[in-house]
Order: sequence, then structure tokens, then C-alpha cells
Amino acid sequence: MAIQWSLVLFTALTGLAGWMFAAIAVSEFKGTMKDAAFPAGLVALIVLIVGGCCSVTHLSHPDRMLGALGHPTSGIFTEAVLVGLVAICAIVYLILLKRDASAGARKACVALAAVFGIALSFLAGSSYMMSSRPSWNTFALPLGYMGTVIPAGIAAYLAVAGAKKVEVDGIFPTLLMVGGIIAALTAAIYAAVSGTMADSVLYIWVMAVAIGGLLPAVLGYLAKKKPASMLTYASVALICAVVGSVAFRCFMWVSTTSIDNFFHTI
Amino acid sequence: MTRNCIVVDLNRCIGCFACEIACKTENDIALGEHWCKVITEGPTGTFPDIEEYWLPTMCQQCKDAPCVNVCPTGASYRSDDNVVLVDKSKCIGCKYCLMACPYGVRSWNAELKCVEKCTLCSQLTAVGEKPACVAACCGEARFYGDLDDPSSDASKALAAAKSGSVHRLTDVGNGPSTAYILDSSIATWKSGD
Repeated sequence: MAIQWSLVLFTALTGLAGWMFAAIAVSEFKGTMKDAAFPAGLVALIVLIVGGCCSVTHLSHPDRMLGALGHPTSGIFTEAVLVGLVAICAIVYLILLKRDASAGARKACVALAAVFGIALSFLAGSSYMMSSRPSWNTFALPLGYMGTVIPAGIAAYLAVAGAKKVEVDGIFPTLLMVGGIIAALTAAIYAAVSGTMADSVLYIWVMAVAIGGLLPAVLGYLAKKKPASMLTYASVALICAVVGSVAFRCFMWVSTTSIDNFFHTI
Repeated sequence: MTRNCIVVDLNRCIGCFACEIACKTENDIALGEHWCKVITEGPTGTFPDIEEYWLPTMCQQCKDAPCVNVCPTGASYRSDDNVVLVDKSKCIGCKYCLMACPYGVRSWNAELKCVEKCTLCSQLTAVGEKPACVAACCGEARFYGDLDDPSSDASKALAAAKSGSVHRLTDVGNGPSTAYILDSSIATWKSGD
């Protein structure tokens, strides 16, 4: 099946934004990296909106989208609602930051944005679990969708912090390492259990596992050793993680076929 | 409950593709798109023991239709008489139903930018006529009717079929209603479970 770029970018970007809010939430709860919160939150919100717009470009009749309100059980409805909820929480959080509101209110808002964002990164993948497509019909798919954007979100947060010359909390390079390993593992697990090894060498093992998972993990380790170069390490890790998360989604599209194709001899 | 669908007797199908053409003509289907597509299964085996049959595929009128379940706007729906249809005015073109259909029998209307599929020629059956593919079948291999009505052509064809010769396309929990009759003396069924 042809790669649906609108959906690839939608899920990769909104997932990145969701995990970026998760990283901001960790800082907020720890009370560290306060100067990075607003610019990082703003960047995450912009990425989320761009991602949401990407999904609209997939539709032939976006003018009829409100019809989805009548069918709240569909995957598209769930994704749209979650994008909306993350955006609302993010906007309120940014306003609270600007108004120097209480820490409790800020924590509640950013925690909700993180929870909804993480849920979005998983549910965007679970929408593709269909019995008609055996390679998609496994929980390894949404796990891969969620796992491959973890290092992207953390790296994006660190890149913003690095650009703003904010002193980075030592936990984040470690989280980037862990996120990179999770990305590599979830991508590899999907390739193994989906039963579709075609094209997996390039898309999964080279791009998603090595470049999108292991490299960010190594860069997280280097950033921990040398915090002065945080911007460089985080920026490279971000690029690698985005490449990996996009490649994972491309693999899903190019490696699928309908169940019926297994039963025709010609 | 009504279960209108098509039954195809593959023992009688001669592979003339008239059903495919009649469908395209009746429903004004664009070049390259099909609501009914005949697949040639075979030839298989080693001469002189070779076999081949033709498999007309169209919407299987699933009992638990995945296309209806995934549609975000209700454009894919089940009509009052239990036929799976598409309301083109509601289709947003997300193509989830195309992905969810196990049989690849939905098609994309590039002009209207929406999904469409076999309607069992509801414009004809509503006035008492047969679907175009059934009417055009020169081998009299296609039957239309309600599977829950023993007096329908479809039910009669199934009732007359030999034991073990009634098949359905691969069922992944969707419960296809469309039935195919193929006797092992003609060819071995290879098109599903």
C-alpha cells in the first residue's frame, strides 16, 4: 500500500508534541528548567497544530468533518478529540506560565496535556488495528507508534532548552537514553511479530531501530557526559528520532496487504 | 431479519466477465475502478489434471461490517433493509473503510472524491428488477435475494447445492453473507477458509 504521508506526519508530529509535554511535565513536577517551560510548551503546541493540520490534508472533504461528532466510537473521532484536549491544556498551561499562576494549577494542566498527548501517541496507532490487515492487527503496532516518538519528544524539549541556554536537569539525558532504547525495542518487536519482514531492513532495522532508537540513546549518554554540548546532541537526537518515527510509520504502510490477497492463486 | 446478497454458482460461471461489465455500465463506474471484479483462480495443477475457476468479488454484505464500524461519519451504513451502503454526501474521504474491508471491494471515486461500492443495484431492486450483474449473467450463475427467505432465488440456489460445496471468502470475524457454490468435481476452493 502506498505511504499515506499525511497520516505519517500527523501521527509522528502529534506524538512528538505529546511526549514533549510529558518532558515539560517532569520538569514542572521537579521544579527545574523553569525558563524552558514556556518556549518548549509553545513549540510543542505549534508542532501539535501542524500535525493536526497534516491529518486534515488526508481528507478529501474536510468540510464534512463535523459529521464525525455523531460517531464518537471511531478512531478518527478519538484522535481529533485528543488533539483538541492536548491543545486546550497546552494553551491554558502557557497562559498560567505567563501569568505566573500557582504551581498546582500549572502542574495539573501540563500533567493533563502529557497524559492526553501520550494517549494520543498510542491510540493513533491502535486505530489501524484491523482484522482485515494481519500485519496491523497486533498491539505491537500502537506500542511502536508510542515508543518511536518518545526520544523525539524528549530530544525536542532538550533542544529548546539548549537553544535557550537553560541548565538541563540531569534526569533528561537519562530519559533520552531510556526513550531511545524503548523506541528501538518497540520498533523491532513490531517488525518481528507483524510477520512482514519485507523492507524491514531499511525501514525498521536501519532507520527506526539504529537511527531512531539507538543513536538518540547514545546521544543521550554523550549529553549526560558533556552537558555543555546539549544543544548539538539534542538537535541531532531529535533529527534521528524523527527519521526513525517516520520510517516506522512508512514501514507499516509499505508492508501491509489485505487478508484476502493471501487466498488468491493468481 | 432481511439478508439480501448475491449467491454465485461457480460451477456454472464461464468466466465471461459480463457481470463486471454490466455493473460498470449500470452504475457508471470510472475506468480502472470496479464494484464487481472477476478474479481468475488458476490454472493450477499439472497437465492433464489442471483446474481453474472464476471468482466474482463484490461487497460481501458482512454481518458485522468492518467498513461500517470504522467510518467516522456514518457515511458507511446499514440500510433499513440490512444492506451495507455508502452515503456519498457524508463521506469525508478518509479511506479507513478501504483499509478495513478484508476483500478490497470498495473503490475510490476520483471525481466525487469519495468511496463507493456495490449497492446490490438498489435502484433496480427497489422496482422489482434484478441487480445488473444477475440479469446479465449468461451462465445463470448469479442469484439475488434474501438468505432468510427460503423462497428467494439466492436461498433456493444454496438449498440445491451439494453438501460441502458452499463456500465464503475468508472470515476474520466480519461474517460475509455472500456465498459461492463450487463443487470439488469442478475445482478445489482456494479463495478462503
